[in-house]
Amino acid sequence: MSPLRERAAVSYVLAAPGGLWMLVALVAPTLFIAWVSFWASRTFALSNALTLANYVKFFTRPAYVRVLGDTVEQAIVMMLITGVIGYAIAYFLVVHVRRPAFQLALFLLLVVPFWTSALIRTIAWIPFLGVNGVINQALLLLGIVDRPVEAFLFTRTGITLAQTSFYTLLATGPVVYTLRNIPRSLPEAAQCLHATPLRVFWRIVFPLTLPGVVIGQILVFLNVMADFATAQAIGGHKLAFLGNLVILLYESGQLTFAAVVGVLLMIAMLLGVAVLLKVVDIRRLGAP
Amino acid sequence: MADRPDLELIGVTKRFGAFTAVRDVSLAVEHGQFVCLLGPSGCGKTTTLRMIAGLEEVDAGEIRIAGVRVNERPPWQRDIAMMFQDFALFPHMTVARQVAFGLEMLRRPAAEIRRRVAETLGAFDIAAFADRKPDTLSGGQKQRVALARALITEPRILLLDEPIGSLDFSLREAVMLELRDVQRRLGISFVWVTHDQNEAFSLGDRVVVMTHARIEQVGTPEDIAERPRTRFVATFVQGTNVFDGTVERAEGDHVRVRTATGSFVVPARDGRPPDPGEAVSFSVRAALVTAQPGAEHVNQVGAVCHAVEYLGAIRRYDFRLVDGRSLKLEEFTGRGRRIAEGEAITLGWRVEDGVLHAPAEAPA
Repeated sequence: MSPLRERAAVSYVLAAPGGLWMLVALVAPTLFIAWVSFWASRTFALSNALTLANYVKFFTRPAYVRVLGDTVEQAIVMMLITGVIGYAIAYFLVVHVRRPAFQLALFLLLVVPFWTSALIRTIAWIPFLGVNGVINQALLLLGIVDRPVEAFLFTRTGITLAQTSFYTLLATGPVVYTLRNIPRSLPEAAQCLHATPLRVFWRIVFPLTLPGVVIGQILVFLNVMADFATAQAIGGHKLAFLGNLVILLYESGQLTFAAVVGVLLMIAMLLGVAVLLKVVDIRRLGAP
Repeated sequence: MADRPDLELIGVTKRFGAFTAVRDVSLAVEHGQFVCLLGPSGCGKTTTLRMIAGLEEVDAGEIRIAGVRVNERPPWQRDIAMMFQDFALFPHMTVARQVAFGLEMLRRPAAEIRRRVAETLGAFDIAAFADRKPDTLSGGQKQRVALARALITEPRILLLDEPIGSLDFSLREAVMLELRDVQRRLGISFVWVTHDQNEAFSLGDRVVVMTHARIEQVGTPEDIAERPRTRFVATFVQGTNVFDGTVERAEGDHVRVRTATGSFVVPARDGRPPDPGEAVSFSVRAALVTAQPGAEHVNQVGAVCHAVEYLGAIRRYDFRLVDGRSLKLEEFTGRGRRIAEGEAITLGWRVEDGVLHAPAEAPA
C-alpha cells in the first residue's frame, strides 16, 4: 500500500514533471504521426485534408501486407525460441547452480556482451554467418556438412540466429526473478504430496513463474517488432520488416506513407501487449 | 505389517560438507505414536525430519517405513505427508485445489477426488473458503488448510516441522489441542519437530531430545522432566537446577558430590558407580526444592531470595547461592507464606529427588 492516498493533491504534483515530459516527448509526437498518416497530400501543410486512402493503399498492396505478416511472424517465432531457451537458462541458473558466486559469474557472462553497442553486436554476427564464416567452418571441420551452408547470411535463418542471441536475455531475466521468489518449501510440499518432478514443474513452478515469462515475452515481442537493424545488417536488402519499411519510405520522402506504417506498427505492438497481459496480471507481480 | 514400527531410523547420519548435521541417530516410532523431536536450533532435528521425508539424502544408516527400507525412494514414493513451518500453501491455487492436489497426484478417479475433498473440507471446517486463495486466509485458517491437504491422502506418518511456530501466540494452545485430537482420531503417527519444551511435553507420547546432531534422551515427557539423562537435557528442561561437582565418595546406593556451594547426596545411576574425584553433574527439579526443610531433606543449602514470579497456580522463586549461582524453587501458591526478596533462608531436598547425570559423551 502506498503511503500516499490515491486522490491526494500531492500525488498529482509529484506526477506532474514526469507526466509533462511524457506528454511533450511521447504523446504529442505520437499523435502528430497519427495525424500525418491521414494527410491527403504528400507535402507538409497544416491545412491538409484528411483521408483514409493511405491505409487503403497499404492493405491493397500484397507486398506491404506481406511485410506486416513477416514482422508479426518473426516476432512470434522469436518469442517461442527465446521463451524456451530463456526459461531453460533461468531454470539452470536458479535451480541447478546453487553457489551464489558461480550464479553471478554465469549471469555476468550472459550480460557482458550487452555492454557493447547493439550496432557492433549486429555487425559482429556477419563473420559468423557467411559462407566462409565461423559457423560454416565449424560445421565443415566437424564433418556435419560437406560444403558451406548458404542459408545463414542474408536469410531469415541468419536474422533469427542473431536475434536469438540479442533477445534471449530479455526472456531470461524476469523468469530468474520469479523463480527466485518461489520458496523452496513449495516444490518440496508438492513432492511430499506425491508429485513427480515433472508434475511439480508443470503444476507448481511454471504457473508461479508465468508472470515472469509473460514480461519476458512482452520485452522480446516489442524489441523484435521494432528491430530494423538486424534485418538490415544480416538480411541484406532482400528482407524487410515494418521498421525497415518506415526507413525506406522516410528516406524516399514518402512521409505520410511512412506515418501509416508507423501507426500500423504501433497498433500491432499495442495489440500484442494487450493479448499478453490477458494471460496474467503483471501488476500483481511481487505480491505475496 | 502391524507388528513393524511405522518408522525406524537405524544409525542415520547426515553430513553437509565437513559439518555433521545428524550423527548416528536411531529411533523407532510405533504405529499411532505421537513423537516430538525437541532441541535447540541447529541440533539436527529438522534435518532428521527432512531425511524421513526424503528431502535430504541419508549418508549412512537406514530409514524404514513400515519395515521397508526407503533410503533410495524419492519423497513422492514415500507413505508420508509433511507440514511445513510456513505451511507451503500453493499461492496460485484455491483451497479446494490445494486439498485435491495429493489425490490428483495419486491419479485417483475424479469422482472419488470430488467426494473426498468435500468430506475433508467439511472435516477441517474450511469449506466456507474453499474457493479462496491462501493470501486471503488468516494464520489459523492456513494451518487448517495445510493439515487438510497433508492428511487427505491418508499417509502412514505425518511429519510436522514447527507447525505452530508461525501462528499467533494466542492461537497456539487451541491449535495444539486440535492437532492432538486429529492424531488420536486418525490413529496415524506424528513426528513433530519443535524447539518448544511445552509443546513437546504436552503433546508427545514420547519426546526425543537432540543436541549437536545426536539424540540425548528418548522417553515420556515425565522421563525427560523428572529423570534427565544428561546435563544438557537437565539444562534444556525448564524448572530444573543443575549442580556441577566432583565425587567425594560412593555411599552404597548413593554418591556424595562436592560442589562450590556444599556437598550433597545423590542416588547413584544404574551401572558403574563413579570413582572418587570424577567430575559429575546432577539436577534437582525446582518443584522438589522446599523452603521448609525437615529431617528427610538431607541436602540443605543457604540461599538469598533474588526474585519471585507469581504464575497463578505456582510461585517461582529465583534464589542465589553463596557462589552467586541461581537455584529455582516452585511451590503451589495455596501453601506457605511468600518469601520476600532479599530474605536469607535455608532450602532443602530429599536424597531421592536428585538425579545424577550420565557422563558426557566425547564428541566423535
